[in-house]
Amino acid sequence: MCGMCGLLGGGNHWSNATLPVEGANARRQRLLQAAVANRLLSLFRLQLDDFHGQSFVLSSPTGARQIVDDFSQVWQAAEAMLGRPLDPLELFVE
Amino acid sequence: MNAAFDILPVTLLTGFLGSGKSTVLADVLQGEHAQDTAVLVNEFGDVGLDHLLIREVDARTVLLDNGCVCCSIRGELKEALATLFSQRIRGEVPPFSRVIVETTGLAMPAPIIATLLADPAIRNHYTLHTVVTVVDAVNAFEQQRQYPEWLAQVTAADHLLLTKSDLVEADRVPALFDTLRMLNPAAPVSIRAPDDHDALRTTLFTAGHAETLLQRIGSTHKARLSAGYAGYAGYAGYAGYAGSDRLAHRAALRADQPANATPAIKAFCIEIAAPIDWQIFTIWFTLLLNRHGDKILRVKGVLSIAGASKPVVLHGVRHLVHPVLHLDRWPDPRRDSRIVFITEDIEQAEIEASYRRFCEHLEEQTQ
Repeated sequence: MCGMCGLLGGGNHWSNATLPVEGANARRQRLLQAAVANRLLSLFRLQLDDFHGQSFVLSSPTGARQIVDDFSQVWQAAEAMLGRPLDPLELFVE
Repeated sequence: MNAAFDILPVTLLTGFLGSGKSTVLADVLQGEHAQDTAVLVNEFGDVGLDHLLIREVDARTVLLDNGCVCCSIRGELKEALATLFSQRIRGEVPPFSRVIVETTGLAMPAPIIATLLADPAIRNHYTLHTVVTVVDAVNAFEQQRQYPEWLAQVTAADHLLLTKSDLVEADRVPALFDTLRMLNPAAPVSIRAPDDHDALRTTLFTAGHAETLLQRIGSTHKARLSAGYAGYAGYAGYAGYAGSDRLAHRAALRADQPANATPAIKAFCIEIAAPIDWQIFTIWFTLLLNRHGDKILRVKGVLSIAGASKPVVLHGVRHLVHPVLHLDRWPDPRRDSRIVFITEDIEQAEIEASYRRFCEHLEEQTQ
C-alpha cells in the first residue's frame, strides 16, 4: 500500500469505535490503543504507530515498515514479519 | 434529507435448500406492507413476486486481500445493491425503504455479511438489520449431519424460523428446538405459522432488542456445551473454495477430514464481572479472530466498558465484527459483560484464560 492510500485506511473497523467514556475522543482512544498494542508487540521487537488517525505503521527492528488499515491487518502483518503465528490462546502462558 | 444520504436496512433471509425461504418471502411481501421493500434473490423462484421490485444476483465472488473465503466480498451483490441505490436516487425504481436479500440454499452467510460490512460504497448506504435463517423441520437433522452450509446458516442467524413443523412427529419439534438453541443460544427460535403474516413481518423487519438479547445470553444459557454433538464430516478444509462451483465448494469444505471426523461445536456464555478495558479487549479480540476466526462461528454480547455508563453490543460472524452499537441504557439490573461464543473445537476455558492473561499482562505494565 502506498502512503497516500494509507490516508484512506480502516476508519470503519469496529475496533475504531469511539466509546462514550469521559474525555473520549477518537484520536486519543486510537493512540491509547496503539500504546496497549505496543506492550504486546514490544515483546517481539515490533512497534506500531498511528498514521494520520486512519491507518497504522508497523515497524520491525530490521527496518521493515508496513502500512496497515486496522487491527485485523496489524496481526497479519506482524505474523508475516515474525514468520510465525501470534496465538492469543498460547501467549503469556507461563 | 437528500435520498442520496439514506442508510437502508437490509434483512438477510437464508436457509438450506427446500427450507421454504421463497414461500416465506412471498408471504411476507403480500399486501401493501411490501410496497417499500426491494428484494434481491440469487435465483428466481416460482412464487408470485412479479409486482415487486426484484433483482437477480448472479454468482461471483471476489476475495479480499487476506484471501479468506469467509471474508470475501460478493461482487455481484455489491453491484446489485449499488445499482439499486443509484436507481432509487434517480427515481428509476419505485421508492423503497428496506431491502431483503434472499440467498441460495447453499450460501455461506459470511461473505454476504462481509459485503455489507466491509465494502465502502455499500456500508455507507445499507446496514445489516437482521439475519433470519429458515430451518426445515423435516430435514434439519439430516442437513445438520451432512451439510456445513446448514450449520453456517444457523449459527449466523439473529432469528431462527422453523418451517414444516406440522409435517413431523410431535416429539421431533422440541428436540429440534433444543438443537437449535444449543447451536445458537443467542437467536430466538419461532415456528412459522402459515397465516400469521404480521408475525412474519415482525421477524424479518424488526431488529433484535437488547432486552431480548440479554435474556437469551444470560445465565440460563451459560456453558451449554455440546460436547457430544455429532456434526457433519468436516468444516475445516475451507481454503479450497475456488468460486462458484458449489459441489466443489462442498467437497473442499470436507477436504482433509476423515469420514468420521466430528468437530465439536460449542456454545457458551462467558461473563466478565469487572468493567472491560476497551483497548485491551480490542487488542485481544482482534488477535483472537485473526488466528481463530474460522473456528469462532458467532459472537454476540453486551459489554460493560470501563468509564462508560452505557453498554456496548458486540456482534460477530467468524472474522467479521459489526460496528459496535451503543445502547442508551442497561436493559436489566445486571452490569456485568456477557458474551456468547459459538465455536468449533475451542473450549470456553481457553477463551476465558486467554482474556484473563491479556488483562493481567497488559494492565501490569501500566503500573
